[in-house]
Amino acid sequence: MMTNIDAPFPSERWFTELIARAMSDGPLMERLGIADLRLGVEVLDSHSTPTLFGIVLDGYDIEAVGEVNGTEFEPEVVVSGSIDTWREMVASIETHGRADSTHTLNSLAIVGAPLSIRAADPMGNDKFFRYMGTLQAIFDSAGSPAIAASGR
Amino acid sequence: MGLDLDYLERSARGEFDLGWLRNGKSEWGVRAKPSKTGLTMRDIAIGTYGEVPDHAPRRTMAPRGSDVDPDVPDLGYTINDKAEVWSDNLLDLYEEGVSRQWSATRDIPWGELPDLAPDLEHSMCQLATVLSQVEMVAADFPAKWLWRINQDFVEAKMFLCTQVMDEARHTEVFRKRALANGGGLGRASAVVERFLQLILDAESYDEGSALMHLLGEGIVLSLFRAGEFLAPSHVEKHIFRLCMQDEARHVAYGTMHLRYRLERDPLMAEDYHAYLDKGEEIIAMIFATPEIVEPTMILAAGGVEQAAELGAGAGNVLRHQIIEEYLKRCKHAGLDRQGRLHLPEVLIKDVPGAMAVGAA
Repeated sequence: MMTNIDAPFPSERWFTELIARAMSDGPLMERLGIADLRLGVEVLDSHSTPTLFGIVLDGYDIEAVGEVNGTEFEPEVVVSGSIDTWREMVASIETHGRADSTHTLNSLAIVGAPLSIRAADPMGNDKFFRYMGTLQAIFDSAGSPAIAASGR
Repeated sequence: MGLDLDYLERSARGEFDLGWLRNGKSEWGVRAKPSKTGLTMRDIAIGTYGEVPDHAPRRTMAPRGSDVDPDVPDLGYTINDKAEVWSDNLLDLYEEGVSRQWSATRDIPWGELPDLAPDLEHSMCQLATVLSQVEMVAADFPAKWLWRINQDFVEAKMFLCTQVMDEARHTEVFRKRALANGGGLGRASAVVERFLQLILDAESYDEGSALMHLLGEGIVLSLFRAGEFLAPSHVEKHIFRLCMQDEARHVAYGTMHLRYRLERDPLMAEDYHAYLDKGEEIIAMIFATPEIVEPTMILAAGGVEQAAELGAGAGNVLRHQIIEEYLKRCKHAGLDRQGRLHLPEVLIKDVPGAMAVGAA
């Protein structure tokens, strides 16, 4: 049975549970293939103050590294948006079981708003597209069944 | 070299030669350790086996690192310098290419294609026709050069083989899309064909790779990405997303290959500028080709009637994105095209950093 992630968005617990759900579907992740990326998810609060959460894709492994300092974490690409945008995306996933077509990462970032992408170089920028299937599957996990042993 | 009848008789008597066993110079005891995804190409790039020569010492299919019989024939490879094909991300891109394959038969929910208004179906089919036309060149071009690339650079050849497979699948998926929902194939444009001809007729791998991996596939990557707002249904969105991942790998190779090449031979920059000058001139014509521009605008706007009002804006956004991303990739590769673009002012107006040649 589908249960929303029992943690506020954004929070380290929310991302930890998200990744646990994604990793629980091993066959899907293997089918999507290996990936290699340090992704920063930046959430801007109502005062545009950023909070950055790190996700590391390494082969078939995915790790949520919690709230990070951008300089230390060195993300290859950062996807950034307001807290309202992120929450709307999460709500879409929770409602439909996965993002509807207007709330996918790519659709929200395609014209640079409401999500924007920044990278130190074009290779990092292009990695966002190289692993789009995996990244979308990770976020869509917010709409997948809860993990019984996730420690929530 | 002929049939050694004496050896046949000796071996039949159990008198083995064993020269291959006793005189081998291979690194006995080398044990490549699998990493967590399995035994990767990077895992086996160890010892002398991982040493790729800057210039191949011979032109044979002998595996790099093997003991080579001195009598092996010269196979006539013409690409014998590593810098001609190499990139630092090659091994990882190969593994990724193999790992992230998908099936245009199995992985697309063809049964969920909705009936579309005729103008949208025609537009989607026209775009699918163009993409089916252009994608196969990205298989033909590597295939044309593969047999000329020295076997010492086998990782580059292997990566290009994954690209050939990727492009076959792209051609397949767009051909299938054109035929799956009642629209059928549209018109194949002569301007598009001229660009494909430029790639196929390239006099060197350098030239063709710059035109294809960097310029052509960069444009197609942006187009696939824009599939999010071009696709009339979730089925096409899925197609575009899957193709986008493959295309981004090819562009990553092309960008980093150019960088590798220019770092070792900066004087080649002018050659590359000349290749891209020619390519951009045709790309400018493609930006003014109705068979491409109009279906894109109609799909973005949601219909012919809306396209007049909304389509031009969407087209501009897409074109700006294409040019801006292309300029950034060129710069990252070490080739600054800002101020050297061979695109008319009307196409690059408002694109950050873009300036046509002679416009300063």
